[in-house]
Order: sequence, then structure tokens, then C-alpha cells
Amino acid sequence: MTALSLPRRRARISGGDAGLGLLMALPIILLMGSLVFWPLVMTFWDSVHRVDPMRFGTPFVGLRNYLSLFSDSDVQSSAFNTIVYVVVAVVIETAGGVAAALLLNSLGRARKWVLAAVILPWALPPVVNSIIWLWIYNPSYGVLNGVLRALGVISQNHVWFNDRWSALLLIAVVHIWRMLPITAVIVLAGLQSIPQELYEAARIDGAGALSRFGRITLPLIGGSLAIAMTQSTVLAFNLFDEAWILNGSSGDTRTLLIQVYMSAFQDLHFSYGMALSVLVMFASLAVSLIYVIRGKAETSAE
Amino acid sequence: MKTKPIQSWLMRGGVTLLLAWSLAPILWAVRSSLTRPVDLTASKFSFLPPTFTLQHYGNLLGTVSAFQGQVTQSVWPQFSRALINSLVTSAAATVITVIAAALGGYAFARLRFPGRDAIFGLIVATLAIPAYTVMIPLYRMMVSLHLVDTYLGVTLVYVSAFLPLALWLMRSVYRGLPIALEEAAAIDGAGKLRTLFTIILPMAGPGLMAAAILTFLTAWGQFLIPLVFSPTLATKPLTVLIPEFVSKNYIDYGLMNAAGVLAIIPPLLLVVFLNRYLISGLTAGSGK
Amino acid sequence: MKLRASLLAFSVLCSFAIPAAHADSAKPYAGQTISVLLPPWGTLPKAMTDSFTAETGIKIDMQTQGWDQIHAKILTAMIANNAPADVTEVDWSWVGQFGAAGWYVPLQGKVSADVVKDVASSKIFTTDGNLIAMPYNNDFRVLIVNKAMFDKAGITSLPTTMDELWNDAVALKKSGVTYPIALPLSANEGTSTAWYLMTKAFGGDLFDAQLKPEFTTPDSAGYKALDWIVKAVKAGLIDPASTGLTDVQVQAFLSGGQAAIDLAGWAGNLTVYNDPTKSKVAGHVEAVLMPSATGHSRSFGLPEALGIPANAAHKDAALAFIDWWMKPATQIEAYTALGDLPTSTAALSSLSAAGKIPSGDVLLKQIPTVEPLFAQGTPEWYPQFSAGVSSAINEAAKGQLTVAQAIAQIAAQAQKAKSQ
Repeated sequence: MTALSLPRRRARISGGDAGLGLLMALPIILLMGSLVFWPLVMTFWDSVHRVDPMRFGTPFVGLRNYLSLFSDSDVQSSAFNTIVYVVVAVVIETAGGVAAALLLNSLGRARKWVLAAVILPWALPPVVNSIIWLWIYNPSYGVLNGVLRALGVISQNHVWFNDRWSALLLIAVVHIWRMLPITAVIVLAGLQSIPQELYEAARIDGAGALSRFGRITLPLIGGSLAIAMTQSTVLAFNLFDEAWILNGSSGDTRTLLIQVYMSAFQDLHFSYGMALSVLVMFASLAVSLIYVIRGKAETSAE
Repeated sequence: MKTKPIQSWLMRGGVTLLLAWSLAPILWAVRSSLTRPVDLTASKFSFLPPTFTLQHYGNLLGTVSAFQGQVTQSVWPQFSRALINSLVTSAAATVITVIAAALGGYAFARLRFPGRDAIFGLIVATLAIPAYTVMIPLYRMMVSLHLVDTYLGVTLVYVSAFLPLALWLMRSVYRGLPIALEEAAAIDGAGKLRTLFTIILPMAGPGLMAAAILTFLTAWGQFLIPLVFSPTLATKPLTVLIPEFVSKNYIDYGLMNAAGVLAIIPPLLLVVFLNRYLISGLTAGSGK
Repeated sequence: MKLRASLLAFSVLCSFAIPAAHADSAKPYAGQTISVLLPPWGTLPKAMTDSFTAETGIKIDMQTQGWDQIHAKILTAMIANNAPADVTEVDWSWVGQFGAAGWYVPLQGKVSADVVKDVASSKIFTTDGNLIAMPYNNDFRVLIVNKAMFDKAGITSLPTTMDELWNDAVALKKSGVTYPIALPLSANEGTSTAWYLMTKAFGGDLFDAQLKPEFTTPDSAGYKALDWIVKAVKAGLIDPASTGLTDVQVQAFLSGGQAAIDLAGWAGNLTVYNDPTKSKVAGHVEAVLMPSATGHSRSFGLPEALGIPANAAHKDAALAFIDWWMKPATQIEAYTALGDLPTSTAALSSLSAAGKIPSGDVLLKQIPTVEPLFAQGTPEWYPQFSAGVSSAINEAAKGQLTVAQAIAQIAAQAQKAKSQ
């Protein structure tokens, strides 16, 4: 039906549409251009110069900042940590977020309250969030050791941050706890846009719950899922507060953004830090692009 | 709708798990906010505070407070001011973002203009920009425009940061709506704008609500942007005020937890309140 | 430009003239408003700023920010070539950076020589001959102990050497104190400064006059200090959980009655430890001179100061504010209101004569032994070096690195920081 109506629509679209479209998009283009793209160009400009307030002049250095990043061992280890956070966060947030959204979607009157509860972690200021978890993980009087001891899982208090992998995992948990609601909300919005009749028809055809999920739900929320996963990826690449407050500048858990902060705003090697932040941006962009293309493929396949 | 007993038990289990995961840490914050400072470091573990106290809330809300062992001026004037700042900037950013996304999303979804998809792609790509990357040039610009420490300045930065996601969401909401309705309206002679306001926007209600919730909550939790762009209490939000309760010799955990618990209330009310509209918006949309 | 220069000359004149003549007409900046960016413990109560306004006619816009955030805030503003405020916090550890970048107004010749002399720690804020800030908060490290726990363990004399301190900690552990020593071991600044202090306690220094590392050989004080820390963790004298805790967090061990020794305490901690609303051991905590290997107690100061950014709008009014804060009367009032230990020697001795400083006699004995960490001024690479130090100590305490490896890593970090 849509295919048939297309030529007719095309024919009617004319200069008026383009004018209106541009007019409606113009404020956005101006705003984003001046507040995001222009600063971005400036930062890139700085990153190919040596901008170091402690040294005289700002000579052009080409890609030297970028090249020396690759041989910096601090950058390498924080890149590794960041990849771990991204993988763990995206996988768990997506799986958990979809599960939470499905559950919420199937609730009746209780949904309002459960949804409010699910969103709550995200409403907590990140600073308070990290402090709560600091107490939860506290080896001496934290609730984590308290509960595990009460359950008999461990016999004595465990110092969680003395092991690199458990430290990485626990920081990822704090991040996931805060960010999972975003995935849940986006996917829930996607689920609610699916016409109920599709499920009815499938049910009449005798499709089970799993096959309904695979054949109807998943393809139709492809777009929402791409948005949610992009969001998860970008936020995990930008992980900062959780690692900083829970474990300081420790190399075990230091993220790329913490490294950017330390280089540019603590050590005052400004353009070096900016070069790293530009690389982080391209890396998270590249990963996100994969979902967008996949998401597009899913939607157009339908 | 009838469900099998196993399914309903599974659902109940799932809901319990979801609630525990989401609420337990917050309840722990509530517990800490009701615990005396000396009991916070108790060597014996307990779920409930050994002695309940309202002293931290008293310090926040009262007229005088005991801070650093001395009776000093209450933090309430600062706290209330920061609360208002958080509300104003988050609400303003939400309203502007949602309006821009509602109009712009439609343009990017349904109207054809040169460079449309490329521009949209570029805008969405800005999601990947870390705040630190653009902070210095942005700060320079805001200084020259005299917008540092103004609601307008902070709001503009928020909108530029949160608009891409809202825009993306609204574009996919519009694209998910059946085109037949718009065509019918066009045949009836309605203009694009009228169609948008009378037919499309009401149907896109849930999407708008989702965009609003996303934007408001992201704005509410911001730390780095206001740290730089809101230096004084004229615009400083709660997120920047709360870390100031850490002093050199003493971290006022109780006060921070109490402030955090109070800071959840506005978004909590909003979420519960918007939820009703989310559902009613949905039923209205399906009725037409 | 000319006007500014003459104003400046006038202000210099005034600051010299005031003590002698006390001119009522000395309100040259009346009506100006200066912004002051300080951490919570530098935020003066309104009564104090009001009296400054009454005295000078200058209004004050107090901006409070967390200490961690102020450094980032200043950097952002200065790189964007905008003044963060008319007067800002300048920590001792930022001196090298700010000096090298030329970001702060040199104060020598502007603040009177008598005041500079009275405020002894001002030499820590001198870099390349420029005095870039005047200290207002005289914090330094001192050993703090829970005397009641020492009594219970049957220890009669308080430790004076690091060996005695070790034996006392062992005795305390036997008497039932699970982890007697509170020491931060996380990858944070407080961990590094604690090691610097212990290096001094072992009778050495970190760097020689040419800023070459002096902590690399096993017989050096820095090496011994780190070895002592790691052994203390292994012997169960320090809670292994400290690897995740900052200085202000391990202080909870002492106030909670779990630890008996705050090995790298701030002088200012005593007020909190002896406050019954925050501490379970109030009344039992006192300061002791830092133990040493040589019998000469040594400590170092980590003062905080007030500086004027070079691009500030109201430099002269800002200078008047700093002059006012350097007065003994102002500092005594600030100590009473905020607990900031005075930097003015005159203010300190009058406070301690009045018996207003807890463990005042010990603190007064420690103060003359307080040295700067870098005699030649904090180098600009200090923050980067220090982050490497805390990371290496953290890894050594967790057992991921041996002491030798950690020391090698610190030396490499010093090299990297200096060359970048």
C-alpha cells in the first residue's frame, strides 16, 4: 500500500516542503553548528598544535600528539579498561533493559509505579550515586560483604578493589545501575508503538511467545534498540565519575576520559589531552555506527 | 487477558527482582541519611540504623545547623537555591529540547530538503562527543557572549547536548506512524503544519513524553557542564552543591545522603506524574 | 593603563601606610565587587565578609566549590583566557604549574615585607623568585594517636622513632585493635603525601637540589618508607581495605574507634576526632610529634593560599582582600569560624597562649619543623608525578608490584613527567 502511494506523494512534494523543512530544521542546525561543531573544530585545531600553558608559544605539530598517544602506556591501559566497561555495560544494559521493558509493557495498573521505580536510579545525582556504592562496597562495613557473609558465600570480608577484574566489574555495575533505565525507557517506547493486532494475528497462527518475540517484537524495536545501544556505548566510553570516585586515578580502573582529564586538566598538557578526547570520540562513533547500520538493516528488512 | 499461573508467577518474580535491583541502593541511601555519623562506621553490620536520627535533614532544612562541630548558618538557603536552579535549568532545557525535537524531528522524518539525511547524521553523531572535548572553546564562546552563570547559557549548552537524542527518538516515532493519515489530511486540504499539530503530535504523545523524561533526567544529573558554566549560586545546581559537603577533615556522608534523597523527589514526582500522561496519551492515540 | 599603574602604586603605598597612619580615607576601591573562589573551609561567614565591606567598601561575591573541582575550574578559565575569579584558591601543589604558565599576579612588593615575614609558609608559594599567592590555611602533617588505646595496650611512652611506632602498632594489635594504623593507600593525592611525610621521617628527601630522585636505592629513606608501608599491610597493622580509601575516608577508622594511629594526619583532624557528634573516641585523641629516624622530628606543610589571576578585573581590590585576610585578627576569627589554622605566626602564638588549639603545645613544637616538600618550589610536573606515585603505592600495597618494582615505576614516572 505504501509502495503504491509513494509515486503520488513524490509528485506532490515540491519547493514548499523543502522550504518548510529547512525552516523547521534551521534553529537546530544553527544551535548545533555554533555550540557543538564550531567548538569541535577549535579543539581539533588545538590538538594539532602544542598548546601547553607552561611552555611558550603554540607551534603547529601536525599529528605528533596523536602519534605519541599510541605509545603511551597509560593510554594503552586506560583504553583496555574502557573497552572492558563498554562491552560489559552494553551487553548487560541491552539484555537487562529489554527484559525490563518487556516486563513493564506486560504490566497493568502497576506499570506506573514500577516504571517510576525503575527510572529512579537515573534520577539520583551521580555524585550521590557513587557515594552510596562506595558504602555498599566498603570492605569493613559495606552491605555487600555483610550480605555475602550472612549468606555464607564468603567467610571473611573481601577487599573488592584489590583485584583488577572485580574492581572493573564492580565499577561497571554502578554504571549499569544508573544507565539501564535509559535502555528500558527507549525500548518501552518502541514496544508501545507496536500495534497489538500483530500479536493477535500471530497468536491465531499459533506462534509461541518466543517466536512472537523473534518475529514481531525484535524487528519492530530494531530502531529503538539501535538508539539505546548507541546511547549505552557512548555513555560507557564516557565513563568517568564512577571510576574516579570509587577508585581514584588507579591504573587498574582508569578510563580514557579520566586519562583525558589527567593529561589536560591536571598535568596541563592541554593539546595532548584534547587529541586523546578526539580519538575517544571517533572510537565511540565507530562502534555506534555499527548498531545504526544494523538497526537500519533490521527496519528496512521489515 | 488471561495468563497462565506459571507466567504470572514468573512475572511477579521478575517485578520483584527489578524493584530490588532499582530500589535497594536507594533504600540504603535513605538508611544512611537516617543514621547518626558515629553509627555509619559501626563495625557490626546491621540493616537498620541502631538509632534513628533526623539530624541530617535538620541540618539541611533547619535554620541553623551543626557543621564541622560548630553551629553555623544552615545550608538550607544554599540547598533551596540550588534546588530551584536544578529545576529551572532542567525544565527549561526539557521544554526547549522537546519543542525543537517535535518540530525538527518531523522535518527530518517527513519533509524533504537538500542535505537532510547528511545533516541528521551529523547531528546524531555529536552524541559521541565527550563533554571535555568541546568544553574550552564553548566556555570561551559563552564568556564572550556574557552567558556564563546565566540560566540562558546553561540551558543552551544543555539543549545542544541533549537535543540529538531527543531528535533521533522523535524522528523514529514519526517514521513509525502510518503515513496514510497524513495523506488523508492532505487530501482534505490541510497544510503540513496543521496536519502536524492536529493529527501527528497527539499521536506522538508517548514519544514526546519519553523524550521529555530522557532530557529532564539527563539534565538533572549533569555535573561537569554546570561545574564550568554555573560558578555561583545564581545558577549552581544541586549536583554541584552536594560534593561541597566533603571537607578536608570530614566527609558528611549523612548530609550528602540526605541531600541526595531529597534531590530524587522532584524527578520522582515528575516520573509518576508524566507516567499517567504517558498511558492516557497512548489510549487516546489508539482510540482515534 | 596609566591609571591602573598609579592605582597600583597607591595601593602599595596604602598597604604600607595603614599600620602606621590608619587613614580613614583609605577606601579607594569602595563600590567594587570582587569574586572569591575557595573551597568550603575557605568560605568565610557573612559576618566576616560584612566587616571587610564595612572597612573597605569592597563587596565580596563568595564562590564555593569542592577542592577537587577548583583546579579544573581555574585551568578551564585560564586556558580560555578568562579570570576564574578575582581571588582564588592556590594549593601548594599547583605552584609550579601556575608559576610556569604565568597565570598569577606576582605579589612580592605588593604585600608588605613584614606580612610576608610573619606568614612563614609564604616561601612555599614562591617560584622563580615570584610570590604568586599568600597562604591562609596552615595545614601540615602530624602524628595523631588514640591515647586510651595506647594505655589499654600498656604502652607508656609515645613513639619517637619509626621502629618504636612499629612495635607500638604490634602491641596494639595484640591488645585487640585489629588494624591499629590508619593510612590511605588508594590512588589519590593523600596516599602520595603520606609517603613523602614518611620519607622525611626516615631521614631523607625525595629529590636533591637538582631535582634528581633520591628514593631509588634500597638504603634511601623513600625506599625504606615504602617498604615499611608494604610490610605493615602484610603484618596486618594497616587494614588492607585502605587500598580503596582516601585520606579523609581512613580518618573514619580513628573516629570510629577501629584504629589507634593516624599516621599521616592533618593538624586540623584533631577537631573532628574530638567532636562527640562525629567521633566515638572524643576526648581520647591527641597529637604527637612525627617520629623520625634521626631524633629530629620533621614534617612538611601543605598550605593553601590566596592568589590573584593575572587577568582578574579587580586586582587592586583583590589585593586589599588578601591584605585583610593576612591580618592576625582576621585569621583568629577564621580559625574560630572554620578551623583554618592561621598562617600568621602572631595569630598562632596568641591563639595557643589562650589555649584555643587542641594539643596546641605539640602543634606549636611541630610547626618550626615544618618544611616545604620541594625546597626550590613545587615543580610544574608535580601533579603528574604525584598521580604516578599514588598509583604505584596502591599497586604495591595490593601486592601487584614488589617494593623495588614500585620504586622503579615511580622513578620512571618522575622521568616521564619531567620530559613531557
